[in-house]
Amino acid sequence: QTVDRATLTANQVSVSGDSLLVAQGDVEVQYRGQRLRAQRITYDRAADRLRFEGPIYLTDDNGNFVRAETADLSADLTEGVMNSARMVLNRQMQIAARQMFRAGGRYTQLTDTVASSCQVCTIDPVPLWEIRARRVVHDQLEQQLYFDRAQLRFAGVPVFYLPRLRMPDPTLDRATGVMMPDIRTTSGLGTGIKLPYFITLGSSRDLTVTPYLSTKNGRTLELRYREAFRTGQIEVTGATSRDDILPGEARGYLHASGDFALPRDFRLTFQAEAVSDPAYLLDYGISDKDRLDSRIEVSRTRRNEYISGRFINFRSIRDIDGVPESNATLPTLIGDFTLHRRFSGGPLGGEAGLMFQTHSHYRTSTLDYDTDVDSDDIADGRDMSRASLRLDWRRNWVTGPGIVVSTMAEVSADLYNIRQDATYGGTHSRLHGATGLELRWPWVGGTADGATHVIEPVMQLVLASRDGSDIPNEDSALVEFDEGNLFALDRFAGSDAHEDGARLNVGLSWTRYAPSGWSLALAGGRVFRREDFGQFSTASGLDGVTSDWLATAQVTVPGGLSLTNRALFDGAFGITKAEFRLDLDREKYALSTSYIWLQADAAENRIADTQELYLNGRYALTDTWTGKLSGRYDFEADRATRAGLGLEFRNECLLVDLSLSRRFTSSTSVKPTTDFGLSVDLLGFGGSAKPGPARKCRG
Amino acid sequence: QQANIAFGGLKQDTSLPVQVEADNLTVEQATGTAVFSGNVRVAQGDLKLAAARVQVEYAADGKAIERLHASGGVTMANATDAAESKEAVYTIGSGNLVMTGDVLLTQGKSAIAGQKLVIDLKAGTGTMQGRVSTTFVPGNK
Amino acid sequence: CTFTPAYAPGGPAAALQGAIRVDAPSDKNGFDLVERLEERLGRPQGDRYRLSYTIRTESIGVGVTPENATTRYNLRGTVDWVVKNAAGTPLAEGTAASFTSWSATGSTVAGLAAEEDAAYRLMRILADQIVTRLLATAGSFL
Repeated sequence: QTVDRATLTANQVSVSGDSLLVAQGDVEVQYRGQRLRAQRITYDRAADRLRFEGPIYLTDDNGNFVRAETADLSADLTEGVMNSARMVLNRQMQIAARQMFRAGGRYTQLTDTVASSCQVCTIDPVPLWEIRARRVVHDQLEQQLYFDRAQLRFAGVPVFYLPRLRMPDPTLDRATGVMMPDIRTTSGLGTGIKLPYFITLGSSRDLTVTPYLSTKNGRTLELRYREAFRTGQIEVTGATSRDDILPGEARGYLHASGDFALPRDFRLTFQAEAVSDPAYLLDYGISDKDRLDSRIEVSRTRRNEYISGRFINFRSIRDIDGVPESNATLPTLIGDFTLHRRFSGGPLGGEAGLMFQTHSHYRTSTLDYDTDVDSDDIADGRDMSRASLRLDWRRNWVTGPGIVVSTMAEVSADLYNIRQDATYGGTHSRLHGATGLELRWPWVGGTADGATHVIEPVMQLVLASRDGSDIPNEDSALVEFDEGNLFALDRFAGSDAHEDGARLNVGLSWTRYAPSGWSLALAGGRVFRREDFGQFSTASGLDGVTSDWLATAQVTVPGGLSLTNRALFDGAFGITKAEFRLDLDREKYALSTSYIWLQADAAENRIADTQELYLNGRYALTDTWTGKLSGRYDFEADRATRAGLGLEFRNECLLVDLSLSRRFTSSTSVKPTTDFGLSVDLLGFGGSAKPGPARKCRG
Repeated sequence: QQANIAFGGLKQDTSLPVQVEADNLTVEQATGTAVFSGNVRVAQGDLKLAAARVQVEYAADGKAIERLHASGGVTMANATDAAESKEAVYTIGSGNLVMTGDVLLTQGKSAIAGQKLVIDLKAGTGTMQGRVSTTFVPGNK
Repeated sequence: CTFTPAYAPGGPAAALQGAIRVDAPSDKNGFDLVERLEERLGRPQGDRYRLSYTIRTESIGVGVTPENATTRYNLRGTVDWVVKNAAGTPLAEGTAASFTSWSATGSTVAGLAAEEDAAYRLMRILADQIVTRLLATAGSFL
């Protein structure tokens, strides 16, 4: 057993008397990861004691640091007393004490203490907040701080008194205990306070119990349970509430999710969502979701294979024209299985893919005809099952002048079984094929200013069969037209519809990469059809013999700016659809804004044009104050749907978050509400939120 | 193994006679000094001193040794302690032993290293200077 | 300024087809990104160049009606990618960024298909951006 030696270095060491060794001048003692510096140390070998004088600095191996005037410790530095000591834990939390007693290498007791993680400057020594206490015991093993007769002071003013207080030390990241409270005022619930209590249940499980009481006799208990397993983890959050919004009703919500690794690279994920009434999630500020989605899925992804089997249950809590969306006539239970394999084309060369997919969905209503309970014209009770097989192939050739010629083909067979539908009931089948010839001729060049340019004209001729079947289109009702499907053989999102007939897709893109790293990309495209089969609605931009012009512009700057603009406009430059997104994320400020303009379209049951500007930004007013602004303006309704202001103060020891937001939307179940939130977090305790910059000491 | 190795073990009665042995000796009448060389051994009671070369300076009466100047790697030992250094000067009258140059003083389990060690053999005290480093075993094991 | 067809003999991307092996995907987005990259760059013939990538997507609700129904979603995506040679030294890298959208005004089945098609199209747009960037820089390392 190797003997742990302590090393002492100094400018001068003198040996006198029978067992005294006196070291002077920049004396340093190192023992088991602890390092102690002082001006003068006397080592009494017989008593096995070390006495220190002059400013003493003790640092131990887990980042704790003690400064003291004098000290008398055992030779292994684990026991003894230090006078007018200042202990700094994890370079954050400071505890000044008249005396500090170390016992058994585990406990440190400090008397007449002032604890704070705030920067203390010599010229104004009053920290922003401090906890004064007769006695503090620091348990290094349990990483806890126990205060006796503690008094919380803000800017020197006593605010709170507690006979006994226990708090985790900064190095601890998980411990049972009360967490910082949040104050929340909403028009529906009045002013209330949330007081979370965190309970660790062993090393891999924990439970957070959060009572939330508010003036308009709102009483809520929220629970969050988390458990980590060897192969995955689950998290369940739920709450039960009673309030004046729905007096006399037990309200609540549940959200559970889990993710597990299964053998042979399979993965199981599940998510469950339930709520007692449509307005609950909004009233309690939990989420904006208007369709709850519970699902369980087993999937595996490899380079050439994707397998997924899943069940999904939808529940709509949405309001449409003042009427809650009926869940009976919506497909609420969906089952899918997908196997997609990719492989080389073998003798044909190139890249090929085979996909086998089954899909079925179920409506609880049993009516086989459409009523006006909902706004669609689908039989209320229609249930559908589909099995599809799709084979695709594609190959590139590079020709002499640098033109990349790609030949591609896709053939799909679908088998449908539709039930509880007077018009479409029974089984249907369909065979659909498409072939394409694509020519790409990219040019690359450099200009005098050092920029690199890529200009790429693309032309694609597609011949597709004509679908004679009368299969109703449910999953391909919503069509988008962008650079992602300008050159696709089939632009429908699902399998219920396939794009028919011959067409020519034409596109041109120009991208400029500046030497400094920012890039500008412009692209345009259009679809020319031989014959219009009326498969697309006007709002998709793909209708007519010639489609709308697709134009996109994008600017990206390294370091977090990306601006993307996409528009569809018809020949006479009338805008069909325009979307703009700017995302800027810098250290001092960030802005995320989006603008959309969409034409009304009955096929997509969008009864009115949609025109909305959304804005969400933050700006560092000073290095501790940050202003936040968010808003959503609906130009059609000509008023804001949501506006929010926020102010955050974060320095090395305190985090204050003020937020004021107003939601203007109202429906049968949801009323406009104003939400004011205040949360105060003392930083430096138990590895809580990341501290901000320390204030500079003036003078 | 004594319970506590007293540092004070450096105490030494400096009035005892000093014997010096060596392979060869050269004497210079004019300066009254003698130079012993070749594994020189100096002994005074428990104090033993060994060096490659020791120059002895005698007192005015020519008989008593006043000072020993040892060089070429010196080791000093007494009943409980030992020290080594490049050079050492022992002034017998004052009981002052000064060892200089990579000095290492070992006492039981602890050792002190430095550049200059001044030992007062009469008082039994020693002071090490220069960037000194020493190791000790807390808990006195 | 000098312009040449990228794939012409002696052009910067003459040797690009089949030269780059894309890292295996771990989720559906990765699968669609790799499929499009292999469509554009051809299936890899060897291991001389490897492209690794990190995909991040975020779905943001837009088009909120006065009745608080979210009628449309933007799916924002970025791919940080780097091409390395067999020894692991990076030869080209960049970040592709864009967004696609889908309407949620239809039925749940239509919304689900539109959401997954939006992700599929986003991955193809980001893959095309990577290929365009490779065309511009292939001359320096191929």
